Amino acid sequence: MTNTRSPAGSAGLLAGGVALATLPLWVGDFYQLHLAQLIGVYWILIVGLNLVVGFTGQLSIGHVGLLAIGAYTFAFLAGTHELNPLFAIAIAGVIGGLCGLLLGLPSLRLPGFYFAMTTMAFSLIVTELTLAQDEITGGGIGLAVPGVSAPFDTPDGLYWLILIVGGLVTWLTWNVSRCMWGRSLIAIRDSEITAMAVGISLFRAKLIVFVFSGVTAGVAGALFASLQSYITPDTFVFELGLFFFVCIIIGGRGSILGPFIGTIILTALPELVAPLAKLGNFFYGLTLLAVVLLIPEGLQRLFEVLAEKLRPRRIESHVVTPDLTRLAAAIREGQSS
Amino acid sequence: MLLVIVSGLAVGALYAATALVYNVMFSTSKVLSVTTGHLCMLGGVFGAWLVSDLGVPSVLGLAGAALVGAAFGFLTEIVAIRRVLSRPVEHLWLLTTLAMATMVQQAVGLWWGTEPRPFPRLIPQDFSAGVMDQKYWLPIVTVIVMVLGLEFFYRRTMYGKVFVAMSEDVFAAQARGIATSRVRSLSYVIAGALGAVAGFAAGQLTFAFFAVGHGLTLYGFIALAAGGLGSNVGALVGGLALGLFSTFATYFFGGEYQQTIAVGLLIVVLLLKPEGIFGQRQVRAV
Repeated sequence: MTNTRSPAGSAGLLAGGVALATLPLWVGDFYQLHLAQLIGVYWILIVGLNLVVGFTGQLSIGHVGLLAIGAYTFAFLAGTHELNPLFAIAIAGVIGGLCGLLLGLPSLRLPGFYFAMTTMAFSLIVTELTLAQDEITGGGIGLAVPGVSAPFDTPDGLYWLILIVGGLVTWLTWNVSRCMWGRSLIAIRDSEITAMAVGISLFRAKLIVFVFSGVTAGVAGALFASLQSYITPDTFVFELGLFFFVCIIIGGRGSILGPFIGTIILTALPELVAPLAKLGNFFYGLTLLAVVLLIPEGLQRLFEVLAEKLRPRRIESHVVTPDLTRLAAAIREGQSS
Repeated sequence: MLLVIVSGLAVGALYAATALVYNVMFSTSKVLSVTTGHLCMLGGVFGAWLVSDLGVPSVLGLAGAALVGAAFGFLTEIVAIRRVLSRPVEHLWLLTTLAMATMVQQAVGLWWGTEPRPFPRLIPQDFSAGVMDQKYWLPIVTVIVMVLGLEFFYRRTMYGKVFVAMSEDVFAAQARGIATSRVRSLSYVIAGALGAVAGFAAGQLTFAFFAVGHGLTLYGFIALAAGGLGSNVGALVGGLALGLFSTFATYFFGGEYQQTIAVGLLIVVLLLKPEGIFGQRQVRAV
C-alpha cells in the first residue's frame, strides 16, 4: 500500500512480470504448468472478489456460484452452440456481471452476517439449479467443454491467455485501489457511517464493485471450464467459494499483492504436499483460524513487519540548542511593549 | 396430505431448534455463529455412533451426544469468540466461527466417512406407523420442550435473568457484577448441548451425515431472520413455517427447487419486514 515506488520495487515488479510471462518456457513439466494455469484462473476471480471483501469489507462467501454460472455459460455457448470461444468468454463475463447485479440488488442492502448468508445461499441455489435444469447443464452427469480457439489452443497458449486476462484485471483493480474510488471503498469498510457522512453513496459503490467482481468471476468461470475440459455440479461445491474467501483474508485486506501470494500458497501447497491434500478443507479452516487469531491483518502485514525488522528505519535525532540571547531579547521586548 | 403436513412440521421443528440455538448464543455475545448447524450434525453423528456402533442405550446415547455438543460449544467460545470479541474490528467472529465450522465438518467427515449412514431407531416401533412414526414426532416434541424450558429458564431462574440482562446491555451487566465472560461460556455450552439434542432427536430425518451442517446453519438462520432475531417464539413460528413451506413447495413443484424457494422466502421477508415477524425494530446507530 505505498504510492511512491522505490527503484527496487519497480525492478522486482519487472522481474516478476518477466518470470510470469516466460513461465511455460522454463517450468518443469505439464502438471506444474496446469497448476500455474489454475492459480491464474483463481486469481482472476479473486482479484475481483478482493475489491468486495478486502477493500469494501463485504464478506461474500458464495462467489463460487458466479464462477459456476460463467463456466456453464461458456460450456453452453461454446460447446452446445459452437460459438467462437473467445466471444463466449466475453458473454460469460457479461452474464456473470448480470447475475452479480441480480444478487447484489437485494443482498447488499443487508448487514454483514445477513449478506454472507445470502451469498452462501446463492451458491447453494446455483448448485441446485444446475442439477435441476439438466437440458442445459447436463444435470449430475455434467458437460464436456471445448478448448479455446486458435492462438490459445495449446496449454502454453491457454496459459498466456489467462496471463493476459489476469494482468488486465489486476491492472484495473490496482488503478481503482489507488484513486478516489478505492479510498471510498476502504472508507466504507472501516466505517459505513463515516463514509456516508462524507458523501459516499454506499449502496452504489458496493453495487458497482460487486458487479465488477461478477464479471471477473464469469470470465474466470469460462477459463476454468475450458481448463478443466469437463464440468459437473460437484466441481463447484460451497467449499471452493470458502477457499477464495480464505485466500483474501490470509493475504490481508486492502492489499493486492497479499491475496496474490495467498492464492499461490493455498493452491500450490495442498498439491505439492501430499498429507495436506488429504486434510483438504480442514487445512483451509485451520489456516483461516490461525490467520484471524494471530495476524488479523494478513500476510501482507507480516511481510511489512519482517522488512521492518531486517531493515530498521533510521531514526534521526535532532539536537535542539536554545538560542538564549535571542530568547532573552524577545522576553525583554515583550515586557517593554 | 396429512403426511406432507406432519413431515413439514417435523423438518420445521429441526429448523426451529437450530434457530433457538442461534438465539441462545446471540443473547449473550451478539454473535450469529456459523457453527450452529454443525452442533446438530455432531448430535446426529455421535448419537448414531454411540447407539449403533457401541450399542449404548438410547438415553445414554442422548447424554453422550449432548456432552459432545456442549464440549464443542465450549471450545468454540474459547477459541473463536472470546479473543475476537475484545477486538474492535467488526465481523471477525464470522471468520473464526466459519473456520471452526469447516474444521469440525472435515474432521467428522474424515473420521465418520462421507456417506450418510442410517440413524438407529430410538424406541422400538415398526415402520408401518405412518404419520405416527417416531421420526416425525420426536423432533416436534423436542423443540416444544426446548422452547418451554428456555422460557422457564429466562423467566424463572437467576442465571436466565443474567442472560437476559446481558442481551440487553453487556456493560451494564458487567457493572452490576456479572462475570460476563463466564456467562458467555455457559451460554455456548448450553447452546452446544441443545443443538446436539436437536440433532439427535431429528437424526432419523437427516441421517448421520457429516455435511448437514451448512444446510442447517442456513435454514436455521432463515427461520430466525423470518421470525425475528432474539425472539424464541419467532424462532419457533419461523422454523415451523419454513418447514411447512418447503415441504409443500416440494410436494407441488418437485424437490429440485427447494432451496431456491426457501431463500426466496427469506429475501421477501427481509425486504418487507427487515426485523422479522416477531423481532424488535432496531434503532439505527448514529
